[in-house]
Amino acid sequence: MDQFLQHLLNALMLGGTYALLGIGLTLIFGIMRVVNFTHGELYAFGAYMMYALVMRTGVNFFVALVLAIALGALLGAALEFVLLRRLRGADIDTTMLVMIGAWIALQNTEQLVWTGVAKSIDNPFPAAPLVIGAVSVGWNRVFVFVVALLLIGITYFLIQKTKLGKAMRATFQDRDTAALMGVQIGSIHTATFALGSALAAAAGALLGPVFVAYPSMGDMAAAKAFAIVILGGLGSIPGATLGGFILALAEELGAGYISSGYRDAMSFLLIIAILVFKPTGLFAQKERIG
Amino acid sequence: MLSVSSLECRYGKVAAVRGLSLEVNKGELVSLIGANGAGKTTTLKAISGVLPPAGGRVIFEGEDITHASARRILQLGIAHCPEGRRVFPYMTVRENLEMGCFLRHDKPGIAADLKRLFERFPILDERRHQAAGTLSGGEQQMLAISRALMSRPKLVLFDEPSLGLAPNIVEKTFDIIKQIRSEGVTVVMVEQNALAALELSDRAYVMEQGSVTLSGSGRQLLDDPQVQKVYLGG
Repeated sequence: MDQFLQHLLNALMLGGTYALLGIGLTLIFGIMRVVNFTHGELYAFGAYMMYALVMRTGVNFFVALVLAIALGALLGAALEFVLLRRLRGADIDTTMLVMIGAWIALQNTEQLVWTGVAKSIDNPFPAAPLVIGAVSVGWNRVFVFVVALLLIGITYFLIQKTKLGKAMRATFQDRDTAALMGVQIGSIHTATFALGSALAAAAGALLGPVFVAYPSMGDMAAAKAFAIVILGGLGSIPGATLGGFILALAEELGAGYISSGYRDAMSFLLIIAILVFKPTGLFAQKERIG
Repeated sequence: MLSVSSLECRYGKVAAVRGLSLEVNKGELVSLIGANGAGKTTTLKAISGVLPPAGGRVIFEGEDITHASARRILQLGIAHCPEGRRVFPYMTVRENLEMGCFLRHDKPGIAADLKRLFERFPILDERRHQAAGTLSGGEQQMLAISRALMSRPKLVLFDEPSLGLAPNIVEKTFDIIKQIRSEGVTVVMVEQNALAALELSDRAYVMEQGSVTLSGSGRQLLDDPQVQKVYLGG
C-alpha cells in the first residue's frame, strides 16, 4: 500500500510537467493545424537554457527559470515567423516535412553547441526529501509540481478570459468569421506558437534540473506530448491536463509493478490502446479549445 | 456611400463574379437577388475583404478598399453578417458579442451597446452564459445580427439572413433588418427569398452568372415580368 501511495505521489509530481507539454502541443495543433515536431526540441531548449544560465552564467535559479520560458516563447515566435508564416494554406504534408526538418536542425544545433555529453543542473532545494508518513518526495519535485500547476492555471486564464485568448478560441472555431471580426489570424498564429513553445520550454526548464539535459531528450518528450494529446482529445486543455497526469500514472505503475524498462513504453501502449478503443480521445467534445 | 465597379472575383481558375458594378447610397436598404451560384455571396465577401478581388474597384466613403484587409474594412464601418450565421459555437453568447466589438476599445460604449442589445433581445440576455452552439437557429440569427451591430457599423452586409429559419422567425428577422435601417444604418442584403427581399428593399440588383442583369427599385422589380417569371414563381 505504501508503495502504491509512493507511486501515486510520484505520478502527481511528474504529471504537471507532462500536462504542460500536452497543452502546448494541443493548442498549436488545434488553432494552427500544425503537427509540431519541434515541440520536443523546445523542451530540450528549456533545459539547456537552464544549464546555460545557471551553470555557465551564474544566474539565480528562479530568474533563470523565468528567462528560459521567455526565451522559449521567443524561439517559438521566431519559428512561426520564419517557417510557418510562409506555409499558411500549404497542405499538412508540406508543413509536416518542414517541421521534421526544423526538428532535426534544432537537435543537431543543440549537439553542436552543448556536445553529446549530458549536463546536470544544480538546484537550490534542500537535499533531504519532504517526508509525509510513509511516503517521501524531493523538494525539487514539489517545486516542479507547484510551478507546473501555476502555469496551467495561467494558461487556462489566458485562453478563457483575455481578449487574446478569446481571439484564439474564435480562430480555432471559425477562422474566416474570426477574420471578419477583425482578428489578425497571422498574429494569432504567432502568439499560439509562442505560447505552446513557452509551455514546452517550461516543462524542459523544470525537469532539466531534476534529471539531466542531453541533445536527444526532446525525442521522448515529443512522443509523450503526442500521447497526451491523443489521450486527452485534440484541442482540449482539460483533456491535455488530465492526459498528462494519466500518462505519468501509467508510467509510474508500469515502472513500479512491471519493470522500470517499461516506463517509456507506457506512452506508446497508451497511444495504441486509445487509438483502438476510443480514437477521439477520452475527453474530446468534437472540436474545441478550452 | 459604397461603389463597386467592374468587380472580378475568382476561386482558383473559376470566375465567380465578372464585371459587377453597383452603388449603395447612405441610408438605403439594397438587395442582391439571384439564383444559387450567381455570385452574390462572393460579392459580399469581396466587399468585406474576406476574399480579395481579382479585379475592379470597391470604394467606401471615398476610400479605395479594394485590397484592404478585413480588419481595416471593419474599422471603416462595414460589418459582415455571414451566411449560415457562423456564431462561434463553443463560446458563450456574451463572448460572441464581445468578438463583435473586437476592435473597439471604448469600454463604456461597449457596455451600453451590450445593455441595449440585451434589452432588445431578452432571449440573448437569458442565455448570455450559454454556448452559442446550443441556441436554436432563430436565436443564433439574432446573435449573429447583434454581433455584427456590436462593431457600430455604418453599413451592414447580410448574407442570406432567412436561410434555414422557420417562417415566423424569417419574418422577425426581416423586421429586425428593417429596424436597423430605420436607425440610420445602411444595409446590403443577399437573399434567396426574392419576394420578401424586394418588398423590403429600396433598390435591388438581380444577379446572373456573376454580373448584374437588372436593377431598379424594389417595386419596379416586383412588377417586372422577367423577375416575376424567374424569381417570384409566377
